[in-house]
This record gives sequence, C-alpha cells and structure tokens, in this order.
Amino acid sequence: MAKKESRRSFLELATALIGGILSLAAGIPLIGFAISPAFKKPESKWVDLGLADRLKNSRFKKVDYTFMAKDGWVQATKKRSVYVTDAGNGEWSVFSRTCSHLGCLVRWDAQEESFLCPCHGAIFDKTGAVVAGPPPEPLQKLETKVEAGILYVKET
Amino acid sequence: MRQFLNERLPLSEFSAHLRKPLPKHINLLFSLGSLAMFLLLLQAATGAFLALYYSPSPEHAHNAVTYISEEVPFGAFVRGLHHWGASAMVIIVFLHLLRVVLYGSYKAPRELTWIFGVLLLLVVLGFGFTGYLLPWDEKAYWATVVGVEIASTAPVLGDFVAKVMRGGAEIGAVTLSRFYALHTIWLPWLAFGLVGVHLFFVRYYGSSGTPENTPEEMKTGKPFYPDQVFEDVVGMLILFAVLASVALFVPVPLEDVADPTNADYDPRPEWYFLFLFQLLKYFQGPFEIIGTFVIPTVGMVLLLLLPFLDKSEREVLWKRPLALTVTSVSVAGVVLLTILGASSPKLETQEASQSTEQTQDAATPDIETETVEEGEEVFDFQLTEEEIDGTGEAEEVFDFQLTEEELQ
Repeated sequence: MAKKESRRSFLELATALIGGILSLAAGIPLIGFAISPAFKKPESKWVDLGLADRLKNSRFKKVDYTFMAKDGWVQATKKRSVYVTDAGNGEWSVFSRTCSHLGCLVRWDAQEESFLCPCHGAIFDKTGAVVAGPPPEPLQKLETKVEAGILYVKET
Repeated sequence: MRQFLNERLPLSEFSAHLRKPLPKHINLLFSLGSLAMFLLLLQAATGAFLALYYSPSPEHAHNAVTYISEEVPFGAFVRGLHHWGASAMVIIVFLHLLRVVLYGSYKAPRELTWIFGVLLLLVVLGFGFTGYLLPWDEKAYWATVVGVEIASTAPVLGDFVAKVMRGGAEIGAVTLSRFYALHTIWLPWLAFGLVGVHLFFVRYYGSSGTPENTPEEMKTGKPFYPDQVFEDVVGMLILFAVLASVALFVPVPLEDVADPTNADYDPRPEWYFLFLFQLLKYFQGPFEIIGTFVIPTVGMVLLLLLPFLDKSEREVLWKRPLALTVTSVSVAGVVLLTILGASSPKLETQEASQSTEQTQDAATPDIETETVEEGEEVFDFQLTEEEIDGTGEAEEVFDFQLTEEELQ
C-alpha cells in the first residue's frame, strides 16, 4: 500500500515537473520574442536641420524635419519638430518639443516667452527649465554641431 | 434528435440547473451583468467583421478606417456599433460594479466572483486603450503617447514596460501591430476566460439577491430560465435599439491622420480616461508619480481587496455609513475629475495661430515609408519659407530629399 502511494506521489511530482518543463521551454522563447524590442539600443545619428547661417535667429524658430529610421520591418520617414535659436550669438540651442511630462508637443508663446504644453498645463522658460506644472525634468536640449555650414542635431 | 442528444449529454440536468429559482427579492439592476456580457459579444462580433477590412499598419490603418466608414455598405453602422458599444460597455460595467457595491454582493462567499469581476473591468479598460490607437488618427496617436508615458513613470520597471508596449523607443509600426494583436486576440481570449470563471462563480454560489432576502427566501423566487432570462433579453433589445440609433445618427469621429509634429493638436483621451487625464495635472515635479502610478495602483488594489477590507454585515449601502461615504466620495471624485477634464480649455498661443496654416500646407497624408537599399544614403535639405522667397518671418519648413544617386 505504502509502495503504491509512493509511486503515485512520484507520478504526481513527475507530471508537475514535466508540465513545468514544457511551460518553461515554450514560455521563455515566447516571452523573449514579445519583449525583445525593449532591449534594442536606440541608434543615434546626426540629422541636418539646414544651413546654419539661415537658421540663425535670436528668437525661437520652429523647425520640422524628417529622417529615415528603421521602424520594425520598415524604413520609415520619421517626423520631428524642434525649436532652434542661436540667441543671436552663435550659441545654438535646439529644444525637443516633446514635453518631459507625458510626451505631448509644447508650443512656444512669444508673448509669454515660455514653452506651453497643451496637455497638463506645463510651462517651461526659454532655457527649457520647468516654471510650472507637473514635469519633473526640463525640456530635452538636443546635442548640436555645425559642419560645413550645416547645423546638425543628434537624434537618439 | 432530442433523444439522441439526451442519451449522450446531461441535457435534463442542465435544463433543471437553468430553471433553479432565484432569490425572492431581486430587481432590474440584476440584469446589468447580462447586459455587460451582451455588449462583450456584440463587440466581439462587430470587431470580427471590422477586421475583414482593417489593416494594422501606419500606411494603411487610417485609409482602411475611412474606407470602412465611407465606402463599405453598412460600414459606418458597424463601426458605430463598435465605437459607441465600447462607451456603453464602460458605463454598463461601471453600473454593474455599483450595483454589487450597493447590495454588498461581494461579501462572503462571493469574494472570488468580485475579484474576477474587477479583473474584467481592467480588461474592458485595456480594450478601450488598445482599441483607440487603431484608427491611427491624431487622437489615437497622442492618447497612446500619453498613455504609454504614464506607464513609463512606474518605479523600476516603468521604462521597460513602456518599451515593451511600444515595441521600441517610440510609437510606430510595431506599436500598432502589437496593439492590434492585443485588442483582437490576447484581450478577447483573456476576457472570455475571465467571463467563464466569473459566470461559473455566479452560478455556483447563485445570485446574491438584495440583502433583504432571508436565508429561506434565497431559493423561493422566480426561475432563472425563462423568467430572468426574458427580462435580460428585453434589456438587451432596448440597449441594442439605443446603440443602433446612436450608430445611425451620430457619426463616429475620425480625425486627421496621426502626425507626430502637429503643433495645433490638443491631445485629449476618450471620456472614460478623462478623470485620469485631469488628475495628472495636480501632481507636480517629484510628486508626478503619485498621479500616474500611486493613486491608480492603490485604488485598483483596494478595489480588488474590497471584500476582505469591508467585513461589515451584508446590508444595503445606505445602512453601511463607511462604505457609503467611501463609495460616494470615489464616484463623485471620478465624475468631478471627468467634468473638469472635459471642460479643460484648449491651449491658445501666439504660435498656434501661425502654425494652423503651416499644418494645412505641410501636412502629409500619412507616414511615408520607403525602403532604402543597402548603401543608399538619403540627404535632407531643409529650407524655410523665408529662405525661399526672402520675405516675412514665416517659419514653414520645406523638406527636399535627394538620394545619393540623384545627387550624382
């Protein structure tokens, strides 16, 4: 009797073990398949905004630009929008228009001299610092360089 | 045929089970669960048919939805049923939850029925969130941007979860295809699994009835079939008539195709997420996470654990002062935040008026995709309007893209 019981206990354990192995063998690749995009490092590249001389402006100028980037299985034309100024002294500031709170696009208000977010009421000053509203961080300032008279920003 | 089936299946037992009496005191509010299930089936049916024409890619999604609405016979009606059905589902599920709270139906031994019901509420909200990206219009795009960013604020795993949701660093083709898969395969399977378990518990423990039922009265009411089922079916008919009328006479909105650079768009979520949208405004700087993560998570955990937190005698809500207070404050809070969110003003800036023209001129019909062959490099030249005609302070940007071959 005791022998039969121990045999059944073994069968129960073995069944659970095989079930576990099957779940892991199928589950690990499936989960890896689904979450793999999270481990891809974003490619960074320099994208030209145009001739630096012509973008020079003491006020913020909105510049929309496009560049090619891989989006899954397609080479897509990505669209971006930034605010550009050289403050009149050749020191370039290029701000991403993506609000650091939850990703809406901020707008420059020339009268208020502020960037305003249409979603949750965030306000940033002209240095990108948070003046009011929920964002925990300033506006992202993009890395820039000028080569052969062309202004480039670093896309990440 | 009947005899053939009777010899092989326990049909008479099943029939007897369906005819089991309900509690004596029961009312129309007890049909809300059946109405929710009817809506789930209607959403599954209309969704399955919409999928015949839909294409989950940024190049085609918006055109496919336009095609469904404007060219496919009954397309606008089917899409209308699906769109307004989603809103009806949120309302009915919320009312069903309130009915359960009103009569304390979540109390022992029905705790598991409640927990699976709350999980179904989450699935319904998941359907809403994944569904409204699919038309790939401005609302779809920006609501998803904000929704995924909310997930990214969760501690430790937030950024990772957001990347998994998007299928990468930003919203694009991969996001759309995985939201489509979630909306049409994963969530329906999950929903029907959860509904199965929820219904099993409902039948196993029997209807809770109102608290005024004495133990003797719990099995002395009308039979579930046909009496209660008839009332449920009449409710379904009325609900369908209302939905069909709305679908016929109120066009489903479809905004311009998603444009990640549209400066004029003021993103707003669907009405059932407006309370969260409004809530996020009140938590600033380092307290952001309270609005995005802490309150929603704690609220949902408390809701799940409600049967274990509220150990009072089963009574109707107005005889349970604490439960009445918590429920009233929560419902009033959600309603008030929704109203505030709906009435929050659009942003007017100096730039906004200028950029209206820009968007109209510069708008592209869709995100263009191009297969760039190995070794082919694309050069972008961008000139402002000022540079082209040498006038004014217009800031419009023109893009010219030449391939290396063209340059040579």
